[in-house]
Formats: sequence, C-alpha cells, structure tokens
Amino acid sequence: MADEEDYEGGEPDFEEPEPEELEEELENDEAPDAEGGIDVDMREESEQVRDKARKTTKYMTKYERARVLGTRALQISMNAPVMVELEGETDPLEIAMKELRERKIPFTIRRYLPDGSYEDWGVDELIVEDSWRRQVGN
Amino acid sequence: MGRGEAGYGASIASQQNIALNFSKRPYIEDVGPRKIKSIRFSTMSSQEITKGAEVHVYEQSLYQIPERRPLANGVLDNRLGVSDKKSECSTCHGKLADCPGHFGYIKLELPVFHIGYFKNIINILQCICKSCARLLLSEEDRQKCFRRMRNPRTEVLTKKAIVKKVTDLSKRVRTCARCGEINGVVKKLGSTLKIIHDKYAKEPVHRDEMIGQFEEALKFNKELKTYINRLQEDLNPIKVLGLFEDMTEEDCEVLDLLDRPEKLLVTHLAVPPVAIRPSVEMDSAIGSNEDDITIKLLNIIENNNQLRMCLESGQSIVHCMEIWDCLQIQAAMYINSELPGLPPNMQTGKPLRGFVQRLKGKQGRFRGNLSGKRVDFSGRTVISPDPNLKVSEVAVPVLMAQTLTYPEKVSSHNIEKLRQCIINGVSKHPGANFVVFPDGAKRFLKFGDRRRIAAELKYGDIVERHLEDGDIVLFNRQPSLHRMSIMSHRARVMPWRTLRFNESVCNPYNADFDGDEMNIHVPQTEEARTEALMLMGVQNNLCTPKNGEILVASTQDFLTSSFLITRRDTFYDRASFSLMCSYMGDATEQIDLPTPTILKPIELWTGKQLFNVLVRPNAQTRVFVNLIVCEKNYTKGRESMCPRDGYVYFRNSELICGQLGKGTLGNGNKDGLFTVLLRDYNQQAAASCMNRLAKLSARWIGNHGFSIGIDDVQPGARLTIEKEKQISQGYHACDKHIELYNKGKLTLQPGCNAAQTLESEITGELNKIREKAGQVCVNELHWRNSPLIMSQCGSKGSVINISQMIACVGQQSVGGHRAPNGFMDRSLPHFPRNDKTAQGKGFVANSFYTGLTAPEFFFHTMGGREGLVDTAVKTAETGYMSRRLMKALEDLSTHYDGSVRNSSGGVVQLTYGDDSMDPANMEGKNGAPFNLDRLLMKVKATCPPQSFSSLPPTELLNTLTSRLAHQDVSPESGCSTAFVKSLKEFMEEHISTISNTRSKLGLPMDCSREMDHFLEEKIAANVSGLSSRQLEVFLETCIKRYHAKRIEPGTAIGAVGAQSIGEPGTQMTLKTFHFAGVASMNITLGVPRIKEIINASKKISTPIITAKLVCENDVKAARIVKGRIERTVLGEVAKSIKTVLKPGQAFVSIKLDMKRVEALQLDISAYTVAESIMKVSKLKVKQQHLRVLDHEKLIIFTPETDRLKLHFALRSLQSMLPKVIVKGIPTVERAVINQDKGKYNLLVEGTNLAAVMGTEGVEGRQTKSNHIIEVEKTLGIEAARKCIIDEIQYTMASHGMSIDLRHMMLLADVMTYKGEVLGITRFGMTKMKDSVLMLASFEKTTDHLFDASVHGRTDQIEGVSECIIMGIPMPIGTGLFKIRQNVQKLPTLKYGPTPLLS
Repeated sequence: MADEEDYEGGEPDFEEPEPEELEEELENDEAPDAEGGIDVDMREESEQVRDKARKTTKYMTKYERARVLGTRALQISMNAPVMVELEGETDPLEIAMKELRERKIPFTIRRYLPDGSYEDWGVDELIVEDSWRRQVGN
Repeated sequence: MGRGEAGYGASIASQQNIALNFSKRPYIEDVGPRKIKSIRFSTMSSQEITKGAEVHVYEQSLYQIPERRPLANGVLDNRLGVSDKKSECSTCHGKLADCPGHFGYIKLELPVFHIGYFKNIINILQCICKSCARLLLSEEDRQKCFRRMRNPRTEVLTKKAIVKKVTDLSKRVRTCARCGEINGVVKKLGSTLKIIHDKYAKEPVHRDEMIGQFEEALKFNKELKTYINRLQEDLNPIKVLGLFEDMTEEDCEVLDLLDRPEKLLVTHLAVPPVAIRPSVEMDSAIGSNEDDITIKLLNIIENNNQLRMCLESGQSIVHCMEIWDCLQIQAAMYINSELPGLPPNMQTGKPLRGFVQRLKGKQGRFRGNLSGKRVDFSGRTVISPDPNLKVSEVAVPVLMAQTLTYPEKVSSHNIEKLRQCIINGVSKHPGANFVVFPDGAKRFLKFGDRRRIAAELKYGDIVERHLEDGDIVLFNRQPSLHRMSIMSHRARVMPWRTLRFNESVCNPYNADFDGDEMNIHVPQTEEARTEALMLMGVQNNLCTPKNGEILVASTQDFLTSSFLITRRDTFYDRASFSLMCSYMGDATEQIDLPTPTILKPIELWTGKQLFNVLVRPNAQTRVFVNLIVCEKNYTKGRESMCPRDGYVYFRNSELICGQLGKGTLGNGNKDGLFTVLLRDYNQQAAASCMNRLAKLSARWIGNHGFSIGIDDVQPGARLTIEKEKQISQGYHACDKHIELYNKGKLTLQPGCNAAQTLESEITGELNKIREKAGQVCVNELHWRNSPLIMSQCGSKGSVINISQMIACVGQQSVGGHRAPNGFMDRSLPHFPRNDKTAQGKGFVANSFYTGLTAPEFFFHTMGGREGLVDTAVKTAETGYMSRRLMKALEDLSTHYDGSVRNSSGGVVQLTYGDDSMDPANMEGKNGAPFNLDRLLMKVKATCPPQSFSSLPPTELLNTLTSRLAHQDVSPESGCSTAFVKSLKEFMEEHISTISNTRSKLGLPMDCSREMDHFLEEKIAANVSGLSSRQLEVFLETCIKRYHAKRIEPGTAIGAVGAQSIGEPGTQMTLKTFHFAGVASMNITLGVPRIKEIINASKKISTPIITAKLVCENDVKAARIVKGRIERTVLGEVAKSIKTVLKPGQAFVSIKLDMKRVEALQLDISAYTVAESIMKVSKLKVKQQHLRVLDHEKLIIFTPETDRLKLHFALRSLQSMLPKVIVKGIPTVERAVINQDKGKYNLLVEGTNLAAVMGTEGVEGRQTKSNHIIEVEKTLGIEAARKCIIDEIQYTMASHGMSIDLRHMMLLADVMTYKGEVLGITRFGMTKMKDSVLMLASFEKTTDHLFDASVHGRTDQIEGVSECIIMGIPMPIGTGLFKIRQNVQKLPTLKYGPTPLLS
C-alpha cells in the first residue's frame, strides 16, 4: 500500500531559492515606501525576514485590529503612558482606538506563515480599514 | 495515562511558600509561564506505579472503627490526600484546597489483563509465537516492516495499516519459523476475559499426538473424555506476561508498540488520590457515603487478600482460579464497568461508575468538563422586547447588574468614578462588591468603612464594580446554531427583572418573547471585552456568513407600521408629520423637514416622505441610498406604475415610489434598505437607521393601533359564495378523475400506475382549491383587514393562513400523501369502503372560523401530529449532524498566505473558495461579489453628469480596458479572473446599449466634439449615457471594494462553514421526497439526504443517474437507449420456453419473440441470449450445453447427467430461465425518459454509472450520478468532490435555502483532500485527524485514549479542541499572530576615552 514511500526519503528540507528571489524583485518595485519608517531598526531578530519582500496583505485584519486594541487597552488600563492628546476620554478602549486612528500604537505584528517563517509589520505600516469613511462618488 | 511534557511553573511557586527560609536558595531560573506544547501518551510500568505512589494499600476496611479515622494503608489513608475541610494531608501537610492528592498502589498477587488493552493484547498474541515470543513473520517480511516503521516520515495512518498487514500475515503462519512450534488461532473465549490459543484446530496430526499424551489420564478420569476434543491452550495473564517479557525490542517496534508490552498487563494497580473520589461523611450513625471508585478498590483489595491467603495456605487450585477470575473481573470493572456479557453474579443492582464511564459521553470528563466548562459572571432570565433600545444594546436588570461585576483597575482616568462606586457599596447600583489590593488581599464592601477604603484607593488596585451602562456583555440564546447566536451588546442597566433588547435582533437569536430565556456573560478583562466588541458586536454581525444576507433587520410590527405609513394616499399635516419625525430619535438629532408635497390649501406631507427623513434626517448626513426592490405584491412589468405599489425605488435617499414591506426592510434579502446602507456606507449607518425605524414604528403603531378580531376572519357573503363555487368545482373535477379511474380509462403519467396517477391528479386538484380560495380571500377582503395587511407586508402569516382562517383549511397530508387508511380500506369509519373522494381522504372544506366537522377534525389532528413528531425527531438528528460537521471542520482557518489549512498545517484549499472572498460580504446573487446593476445605478445617481455629458462608446471601452490593465486588478493582487470577467462583460453589455442608443439617434461612435449634435447628445446621455467620471468612480469602487471583501487571514472558516450547513438543517422538514422532473421519480431530500452525503454512505436510498443522450431531440432514440439500459429478462422477449423430451435427448428450447424485440428495438438475438445464459453461474450452463439453431431459436441441454434427476433439472431450468437478464444493467431498477425544454434525457434509477456511461447512445461525458462513492470509484476523487458540492447545493436549493457555494466547497474539500472520500463520521474522522484529544472528545473517547497509550502517540496541542481542553489560546483568528512592543533601541555606548572637546 505504501511501499513507494520508503524510497523517497533523503534530504529532509529542500529549498528553492531562485524563484523566490525573482518574485522579490518584482514585489519590491511596487511595494509602497513604507519601509522608510522610523522604527525599522530596533527589531534585531527579524532582520533576516526583513530583507525579503513581505507578501502578506497590507491591510490590518479585523483580528489584528481587535487584538492590538485589546492589548493596548489593557496597557492603558494599567496606567501606561498614553501616546495621544486626550479630549476627555476615560475608557481605555476608546483611548486605544484614538491611538490607532492616529497610528500611535507602539506595536509590531508578527505574522506567522504556515511554514513557520514570519513577517513583521508595524501597526503604523498597515492600512486600517476605516469603513466609516467609505463613501461612493463625490 | 497521559503526561504533560512541560507543566506550568507550579513547583517553583509552591517552593516559595515553604516556611523554612534558607539563607542561600538554590538558583531557579525564572523562564516565565510555560505552555503545554505536546502530550505523549504511554503506559505505566509496575515500577513507575510503585515509585509514584506514597502508600501501599492493602487494608480491607476504610476506617478505624471507634475513632472513625481513615485506616492507615486503607483506601482512604490520609497520605493519599484528604476530601474534607477539617483534616490535613499526611504527605504534604496541605488542606483540601492546597493538597492535590497523592497516589497509592495495590500489589496484585497475580497479574490480570487490563481491560482497555485487552484487544491489543490479543492482537499482539496473534502476531507472536506462543513459545519463543518472536514474531511469526518471515525474517524478510519482518525486516521490511521494521524499516517502514522506523521511517520517520511514516504517518500514524500508515503505521496502523502496517500493523494490520502484519496481523493478517501472522494469522496465516502455522509454525514459527524460529523455534518450529505450531501456532494456531488466538481468540477471546466467549464473553469472558480469557484468551485461548487454539493450537491444534488445523493440525490434526499434532492434535492426535497431543491426545495420545492424555491416554493415561483418560483411563482414570472418565469426565475428561468429553473435553478432550476441545484441546486448547489457556493463555492466562501469567503466561502472557512471560511471553511479553520475552519479546525483543525490534519486534515491539514492528507492532507499533512504543513501550514494553508487559505494561499492558496489570501487576500493580494505582490507587487514585482521595480528592478525585471524595467520601462524604453522613451522620455518625449512618457512616459515610463513598465514591464508586473507592468501593471498587475495596472489592479488589478484598479479592486480592483472599487470593493471597489461598496461595499462601495452598488451597485447591480450582478455588484459587475462581478467585483469580473474580479479581480479573473486578479489575476490569474498576476501569470499565459496562462490560458486555459479564457473569450474572457479578452484576449487582446499579452499575458502578468506572474510569471509562467518568470520561465517556456528554456528561463525561471530556465533553462535560474539558471541552465545555462552567463559568462565573453569567446570568439568565426571561427576555422581553424594548424598541427604544438601540440594536446593539441589551437592558440588564439592576439586580443582575449588582451581582455581575467587572474588575476595573484603578488608573488616573477612573479613580474618581471608582471611589464613588466603593462608597455606594454592594446594595446601591453603580457600586462595587470587592476591592482587590495588589498584594492579593480582597475586601468585601458590604461591611467596613467604605469611605475610608475609597479615600485610600490607589492606582493599581482593582475594584470589582457593578455592571454599568456601556459595559460589554455577551448575549446568547440556545440552541447556539450559528455564530450570531452569541453576540456582544452594550449593557443598559434598567429596572425590573427581564433582559430586554431591540426586536430587530430577534432573528439572529431566533428568539421570541413567549417565555424564552437568554444568557448574558460579562468578559472580565480589557482584552476580552475589546475582542468581544470588535469581533462579536451586533454591528459587526449584521450579515450572516451563510450567504451574505442581512440578518439583523426589522420584523413583525416594524414592518406592519412601515407598510401602513408608506401606503399611498396617506398624508400628514405639519403637526402630525413633525410628531412622527420626533418619534424617530430621542430628541438628540437634528431633523430637516422636507418640503411638503402639497402646499395649498394646507401643507401636507406623504408617508413616504417620512422615510426620506428616516434614511437621511438632515443635510449633514451624507447618506445617499439608491435601490430598487420588488415587494411581494408587485405586479410584473409595471415598474413604478404597479397598481399595488410594490415597486420600491429609493433614489438619493428619497423614496420615489413603493410601499415598504419585508422585501425592503426585512431580513433575508440582499438588496434591501439596510443591506444597501451597510454595503455602501457602514454598519453604523445601517444600525442607526434600524434604531430610528424601531422607535418610529413602535411609537407610531402604539398610537395608531393595530389589532385582530373575529370580524377580521368573518367571510363576506360574496366570499362564501365564491368559496362554495370553487370547492364544488374542485370536487367535481376529483369525481371525474375517480370515475375515469374506476372505468380504467385514466391516462397514466409516465412511470406511474393508475392508483398513483389518480392520487397525484386529485392532490393537484385539491391544492388548486385552497390556492384559489386564498386568492379569493385576498381579492375580497377589505384593505384594512389586519391579517391581510400582515401577510402583504410580510410581517406575519401567509395567504394560506388567511385562507385557512376564513375560507377553507384544505387538504391534510400525512407523509406527503392524503390521509392513509387507518381502518379497513378507508381512512375513518365515517366513509364507505374504498372511498377516494376528497372528503374521505382528508380534505377539510370548512375554515377555522366556520368550524371543522368531526372527520375533518380527525384529519387535521393527523396532520398536526405528524408535524409535532417531525420537529421532535429532527432536532436530535440535525443536532448530531451539526456536531459532527463542527468537529470535522473546527480547525480549518485561512492563513496569511491565503491557503486554507487544518491545525497541523495540511492544505485543504490553496485559495478559499477559489477566489478568497468572504461569504459574509457577498452582495450579488449566487455568491457574486457585487450586484453590479445596483452599483451602477447608485454611481449614476450620486454623481450626476456634469456639463460635458456622456462619453462615446469607444472612449468608454478605452477607459475600461486601461483600468482593467492596472496592477490591482491582476490575479496576483487577489482579483479572481471570474470577477474581472464579470465586470468586463457587464460593462461591455452596458456600452453596447449605449452604442445602440447612439446609433439610433444617428450619433457617431467615436469622440467628436461637434456641437451640431448637441440635442441628440443630450438625449443619448439621458437615455443611457455614462460620463467619464461616472465610469471612473464605478470601476474604482468596484475594485476597491472587491479588495475589502477578501477573507481575512485567521478567519475560522471551517467553523463558519459547519454552522452554515448545519443551521439550515434545523429548518428542513425531515422526510421530504421530491419529484425529479417525472412524477414517479422520487429523490430523497432534506435531512436524510444531507446525512447521506455527509456520511459518504456506500448505499443511498435513491441512487439516480442522469444520462444525457447523444441524440437529444428524438423520443425514439431515447426509447432505444432506455431499452438498453433497463434490464430485460428472457421471459419478456421469449415467445416460448418449452421442455422437449425426445427419445435419447431432453432439452429446453427457447424461441424469441422477434417482433417484440424489434418493436422494443433491443439488440437481442439467440446468440446474445446464449451468452447471457452462460453468464448466470447459478444455471451451470456451459458452452457445450447450448446450441443456437438460428437467430431466434436456441436449445439448452441440462448439465445434469444423472438420468433420475434429469426431469427435475429440466424443470428447474425452465423455471429459472425466464428470469435471466438478457439485456440491460442488472443494478438498474428502471429508466425514465425525461423531457426538459424540448430535450430528452434519461433518469436511471439504480447504480453502475460506468455501465450507463458506456451504453451506446449515452453521452458519457455529461452523465451524472448522485451517488458520491460510485462517482469516486468510476470517475475519481475530483469528480466526487464536484458531486458532493452539487448534491448539497441541490438539496439545499430544493428546500429554498441559499448557502454560499464556498462553504460547500470547503466541506467537499475536507471530505476528499486525503485522496479518498471520507465521511464526516467517526470512521472518516480518525483518518482525517491526528490529534488523540480531538478524537477522544468526539466519540469513542476511551478507545482512542487506550489506543494512543499503547502506541505511544504524541498529541501536538495545536487544534481547537486540544487547545480548549488544555486552556491555551488557539492559533486561529486573534491567535494566529503575535504582538510585540516596540521598544526604543538602547543608545549605543561608546567605549573609549571621553573626547576632550565636545
């Protein structure tokens, strides 16, 4: 039944670097200039992932948004310094939302791909889908 | 059984609590909290059990009697932990709360089998030699299997297959290749726990030899003689243990045993801590109540002690064996008390709960305590409606709010508020119950000086304050069939005792207010409430992911009042119009009054204008709704001139025409007002509009009044006459049919006999009566009639309901037929025998108003009863189906690379649903992303053409192609080709209409700015123009919105898919049959059919092959093919089958009826018949027995040679020959010619797709079957996948349920991605999943656990079930990624001398 499987063993991990690099260059051309941000340099261990072009969506997913806001709200509720000017907001979640709107949340999202590699995206690099501003026409 | 490889750092913490303080503590690195990564299952050896135990347990009684203290070395020894609050554990000196309990052990005098491993033990014994304990396999085979087992890439499933193969091979081996000993069959003896080795069953020589040895004994013992023939070896536990100990490591590995096999037998029994089997102390007189496990342990000890005494004192072997057997059974019942076929003396009264029973079943540990847990901070009470609440709010009674608390950390933002809460205390509402200080101390605020506590409140303290307005709570109603059954609302603390919410949210919960209860839960951390709000909020779940239809929408009264308000000819003066405008809000919103429709003599506004205000209350609100909906009562083709005003047209938030009803405002549509608001604007726009409508409707209808009374269901004179007429007409028609039937002149329907035809004709006739009666009602009733209004606007009830109340209840059906004959040849004794009339078979001519006659009443209860039974049966059935679907699909999610994978990383789909679109966001029909017509209409309306009017078609085409060439429309950027194609086609079609218009007006097709055609240009623009700006905006919105509709990485689409398929199941009627084109061709539908598909049943109840014909337009051709497919037996085509007895020879002669054969156009001759006869093996007719005389005659000699039996042989041959199939496919029941739009195809009832496809005249490439397994066998796995999708789709569609195709694709992919069709059953599931815990939490809990420990499986904790059981966040949704804090990089320190000048 599974006789063939015996003989295919050999090198455990095979990588094909060439096509990847090709794609990299292509993607680099069109990639937005988000790379030139301010806080690129402080995440040391991610650097080897960094020089590859990132492929995952440039939009922040709703799960990322929820978790970022939640984590930030928790921090704020525990008296973390707030990064924006407050206008009377007291609810930590509301403050966190305001921070996100102004892109001041000091987080990086580490997106894991199924093969175990990851991409780091700063919260300030991602496009937050603000559905309330979407209007058609004029 | 299971051991975590890494535990939490609990031991570190407990060490610090020890009172002794060393000056130098050992250094323990704090690695932070640890997570369980995997669990390895294994078996424990005797040494391990003794080592892990604190006490050797051997005392037979529980307590030291006078003091009632637990006896030392007894089952309740204090060293095993404690189960009451007073005493202290002697091992760790902890109290009940601190001591986790400790193990003890019982040393069994003789080993016994472990009941959980019994099967495995037999299995191993079958594979090894019973004398040298080596594998029975040949060395070559053994080596091969060993290599394959050792291969690290071998999967669990393959290993299982190898073991099975080894077992099969070993069973065939008779003698051991190594020691030459004979080996026979090893099996369980009856239903006892004994294994026997039937060594000599197939070796008579050796048996006789063995019997010979007994010669001497036989002389003295006469009884032995009766048993001597059943010479078998008893493999008792001692012997088995010895064999297992002798097994080599390599052999163990071949049998996929990770550990030594002797661990499968019990020599030492672990005694679990007292904590898991608490003893409850009763009054001192009565004693104590002990757990079942304790009692069983006592029994075992008692038996064990007896056995020891027996062995020590040297009593008779029979007695010893008896006790040993008893011990074996006790030890087995300790683990599994539900052993089948125990000796009756062991079964006493109520069975005790063994370990297996503790784990198993719905209430067991796995499903009851590990997969689902009890929670704190929850409440439950009756619900009631409150239209004044927002859609996203829930009113929580004060009483509840004071019990449910939220732990708020004191920070600079909230310290003042929390101080006030503390001062208010426990019994005043915005209060608090506890304050928790950073050191862990907790103060209850009912007592003590609250003012002081408030004053001393510091940052970092936690106040468990009462629930307050705006807090986030989860709201849920069972049964939780889909994710919208639990949503997060914002709390509104209100007086009284019920939970209240806006009626618009009834739909997702499927709630009504007839006494329903609902639950609320309060998330306790900031993270939890944020996630709840963002992901589970009502506003974020307005649409169902089932098909993208809106679910939270207006219902019942809201629809009625909107319908009444927007009725034509309703006018309001300034006072009433303003009043109604102010109903909408809570006096917080600014409202701009529109210009009145009628200015003179007095200002009057129409009701429709009120909806303009509702959608867009003021000029600042930049909401422009554009939509066209055809309501239920729309007359086709009349558009805005519809006489019943059913054409709803909103243009730029102005209701131009149409009376609003369910189609526009209700749930379950894709083009309604709220959907448009949600899609074109946002959730807030839709939700606030719903809020306004709820308030307006409830307040308006409260003043206006809407009720139903007896006069609403009183038929008028004309109605009564009309109804009588209809009924008598219908009866007359029925009687005619019956008369024809009795005369035998009824024209038969294809594939039906006379009785069936009559039934279907009469049923059709009677259904017509009710329909017509309903129509009469609708026409005759006054427009103010309440039921009529309700049915017209869709708020409640249908035309049939009205007609049943007023005119006629109609035909009652039981099981899809008219009332059956419960008595002899009649349905009720009120009627003559064999009565086929309408009245006699359950037609109820009366209405509920006029009242039913006695027989009618009985018929009505028959139908009613069926409905009740149906619902009761189907809830259980669909529930189980949903559970299975959920378990199979639970861990599928989309990943960041767009693929759909299960928890172990196996790819199920490369892109979700082939286009990675989110089903919840689909706007168009059949899962298309957009309703392009509506979108274009909106663009045209919202951005009116400027002075330079429409573009010429060539220009439009250029713009289109250039836009579609952009990078963001390419497949690489995520635009599916199907979408681009549909967009292009839509635009091209539109452009072609434009060019049509232009050519009719004589305008050029290309760009020419000549002013001489000015007028025509204008006309063309007005008729069907498109300005460049419009086109640009249209394309831009399409593409941009398309990208926003992609499914987000991390979505648990498996769970969503399972719910989307499971939830509609509950709405399906259980047993429905449906006619596939032809009346006689029934197809199983409904829940049974879905079950068949999901189970991947090998045998389905109605297999049907739809065969397309090569020659589609000809009935004759169809008949020929039909004849070839349907089986024809010899009896049908033979003119005669005669036995001929001539001197010297006797044979059967067959003569074919060639006329008939030709008429049926069958390809039969004597030659083919001869072949067919030879194929029937039962006849035993060979070539030499047959002689074909000519093409229509052949003779058969019987193979029988015995002259005496010759006659009988001929007789039986003659009786069997007519049944020989001479043409057609034996598995086919029948074939029916079906006409579809002038084309013919064949519906073949039966199986064997390959044969049908191969039949001449059938277009094999387009022939389909509804039998999934057969399709897989015939056409392969991809075809099976398609078949699954199509069949689910078809079944759902025929019940009027639309489900997004992507869910079905996912299900089909899960069922096929392993390369074979796997059902969503426990058998298929074991092949799909690797996780032991997941399988154990599904079905056959303990089987999976025992199996895992025998084979030493490792469970990577990565799936949903495993993570829930372990209490770990799962890698789905918000757990797919990690959040890292950006930290400022440390300044680089320069080492070196400080510069002199700086």
